[in-house]
Amino acid sequence: MPPFLILDRLQKSFADHMVLREISLDVEPGEVLVLLGPSGSGKTTLLRLIAGFEQPDEGQILVADEDVTPLPPEKRNFGMVFQHYALFPHLSVAGNVSFGLESRGVPRERRLSRVTEVLPLVDLEGFEDRRVQEISGGQQQRVALARALAPDPRLMLLDEPLSNLDPSLRERTRRELKNAIRRVGITAVWVTHEQEEAFDVGDRVALLNEGRLEQVGTPEELYLEPQSLFVAGFVGRASALKGSLVAENRVRLGDERFVGQGATWPVLTVGEVAVGEDVVISLRPEGLELVEAEQPDVLGGEVLERQYRGEVTYYRVCLEMEGEVLVVGASDGAEIGAQVGVALRQSEPAARAFPSPDEVPA
Amino acid sequence: MSRRQQSIGGAALVLVLVWLVGYPLLITLLEALGLPGAFSLAPFLEFAGRPDEWRALWQSLWISAASVVLAGLVGVPLGLIFEGTDFPGRRTLGALIALPVALPPLVGVIAFLFLYGESGFVSRGVQTVLGLEKAPWRLSGPVAILLVHAYSMYVYFYLFTRAALVRIDASVLEAAASLGAGPRRRFFRVTLPLLGPALAGAALLTFMTSLASFSAPYIFGGGFRVMTTQIVASKLNGQIAMAQVETVTLALLAFLGLWAMRRAEPGRTAVVGGVRGIAPIRRQLRRPAVRLGAAALGWGLAVLLLLPHLTLLVISFVPPGTWTTEAVPPILDISNYRSLASTPERLRPVLNSLWMATAATLGALVLGLSAARTSVKRGGRLGDLLETLLSVPWALPGTVFAIALATAFSVNRPELGRLVLVGTPWILPMAYLVRSLPLTGRSSLAGLRQMDPSLEEAAASLGAGRLRRIWRVTLPLLRPAILAGASLAFITALGDFVTSIVLYTYDTRPISIEILSSLRLQDTGVAAVYGVLLMLVSATAFLLWGRERKA
Repeated sequence: MPPFLILDRLQKSFADHMVLREISLDVEPGEVLVLLGPSGSGKTTLLRLIAGFEQPDEGQILVADEDVTPLPPEKRNFGMVFQHYALFPHLSVAGNVSFGLESRGVPRERRLSRVTEVLPLVDLEGFEDRRVQEISGGQQQRVALARALAPDPRLMLLDEPLSNLDPSLRERTRRELKNAIRRVGITAVWVTHEQEEAFDVGDRVALLNEGRLEQVGTPEELYLEPQSLFVAGFVGRASALKGSLVAENRVRLGDERFVGQGATWPVLTVGEVAVGEDVVISLRPEGLELVEAEQPDVLGGEVLERQYRGEVTYYRVCLEMEGEVLVVGASDGAEIGAQVGVALRQSEPAARAFPSPDEVPA
Repeated sequence: MSRRQQSIGGAALVLVLVWLVGYPLLITLLEALGLPGAFSLAPFLEFAGRPDEWRALWQSLWISAASVVLAGLVGVPLGLIFEGTDFPGRRTLGALIALPVALPPLVGVIAFLFLYGESGFVSRGVQTVLGLEKAPWRLSGPVAILLVHAYSMYVYFYLFTRAALVRIDASVLEAAASLGAGPRRRFFRVTLPLLGPALAGAALLTFMTSLASFSAPYIFGGGFRVMTTQIVASKLNGQIAMAQVETVTLALLAFLGLWAMRRAEPGRTAVVGGVRGIAPIRRQLRRPAVRLGAAALGWGLAVLLLLPHLTLLVISFVPPGTWTTEAVPPILDISNYRSLASTPERLRPVLNSLWMATAATLGALVLGLSAARTSVKRGGRLGDLLETLLSVPWALPGTVFAIALATAFSVNRPELGRLVLVGTPWILPMAYLVRSLPLTGRSSLAGLRQMDPSLEEAAASLGAGRLRRIWRVTLPLLRPAILAGASLAFITALGDFVTSIVLYTYDTRPISIEILSSLRLQDTGVAAVYGVLLMLVSATAFLLWGRERKA
């Protein structure tokens, strides 16, 4: 099947500031694509381009082979859920939900029956006559989704739909939104800055940084096979260490002449690096382990902090060579201040070596 | 709507507003400089060489400064009493004593005249009690002007003080108390400094209003001239060039005031730390005697402040020629009302004022709302320009606009955008419209700025086109702001005196002009009836405004 939504080399700048650079993306029919990224990465701008609230400087947006780029938002037939819901305060729940049908000239009878059809999808049957100020935040969120679903849109756009909710409500509402979208089977683009949310709701996740698309893939691909140091650092927890490539897929860290102050570890090289060049390696905490110090290829260090998380315990270790790493260990692995050794676990996820940037991110 | 159409729409709006607001002022400035003929500073030099012009300028300034002090002395304590304490009737009275701000200045002036004037209730009372031959005083000159100003402008201080008191975070006062500050110290070291920005705002507003004040100096001034009355006198004496120079001078003064006001916008420093706490609770007066005292003080002040308007009501029931030497009018009946209703010539000004105010309000509403929406949506330079154009008529005295419109629209040069409108029925509604623009425009601006922009986007994403978005989302949500602006605009236009006196013709004479001629003919009862009519309509619109504003 051909992609349903195609973003083709989209560019956008605001007053000399380039917000989006050459973004190309495909979304399959029925797929939920999450746009993930830190604030200022351009994810909301990208969503607003798709919705038609902003016009791209260059590039095209195609939906089911139709170029929608020149169309105003009201002609695109997309549904949108806004960050602060944007419910019409002067209309009831039913008035809000039927607004889009009214714009399309649907007769009153049909509008009402559609409202009673849509509200159960979001578990709000019987809420027709309620004022939107009277209902809870989670319910408002679901009214916003029902309102967007009612006109039967081709595509659903969600702009940080959970950011306005209490943390306690967030997970439940996330599940409800996700289920409602799956039930309808609609193609959706969902913007968030939270990795956990992105991994939970997205079939695929597109990670944006400073207006560039860093990587698109399934959550597993992003976590296990990051294509850049930024992706490795933004998705999940990772430590970065400086080293140099001594052979294909082997990196020397620190100074090996002194035990504990250096090691040579197997890595997976990503990107263009020649043997002899400096690299930065990215290590997942579960790819490392605490061992006896003073062994070959083991980095010595001191435990700075122990973070007990129930299912796992993280140890922050300050290495004798330059740098710090985060290591997963047993809950009774080591005391704060203990001298320990850090070794590479011989299993997934592999340590990945990236070309050395000018500065190593913290 | 495409971008191109939007740009054309924005440009057309700017053109209309410039034509209405900026262009007449520019033409007045140019003509004062002798242009488009030979450039000449002669009228300015003549202005600078005439002692009476300097005197009028100086008197405008000191009257305004003194009005600020007096209005503050009345308004601030009133605000403190009504916001800081609680007593029976507080809410109703609190709303009532804000009323004078909504009444046309001329109504306040004649009400004052009927109460404290030479043949008013108070002077007759004093005359009777002391057994005097003549009235004990004549109400005229600077003292009379200042009294009227203090009487009508205390409302700014009163309202600003109350608003600022509500904004004070109670925890700030509690912090002061926990640091050992007693009630007096808390008041002088915390409350009063926190009121500072609001008081500065009220002071400048009062200053600008008295600089622009015309009714009081015109009725009570006599030989004591301020800039506004000087301008109208020059115009009536046919010294057009001098009137233009005076107008330019007054406009410059007002712009200076506006500049100062922009720099001291109230309410910027009220909250520190981001989180808004709760307002301090009102002091519940428990001891019955204190409670009674506060109530008596509140009631007493309110009655004193509303007395002139009650007087107006009484005078409207005094038949012509029946009240001669008695202390109180011997006969009260409705003959004045009947005569007004049955004489077409007397009804005419009422109808004139009603249709002109309605037309001006509708025009100002459409223009103000469109300009505000474009300003908010487009932002940038265009947005700033539109906002400035909407604000200028508010900063400039009515007299300035009256002269500017009279100058610009008394020449037939359609290619330059100048038509002969002076002497036609169109000039007054147009003048009212220009003067009302800031009221409708700025309230729409405020409403639009409070509105979440994603509401219109949500409507667009649901398939609603531009007109449907405005009709179904923007207008219903702006209803309170629109009604508030429209009712104030209507009040202003209905009671206008200052532009009317320069631009009216006999056929289009509004209520205010008729009040003046009734007074000249010693027809005080009829003048009072007109005043009562203005008062009733204005009070209704004002109360509607208050209700909508709260909603």
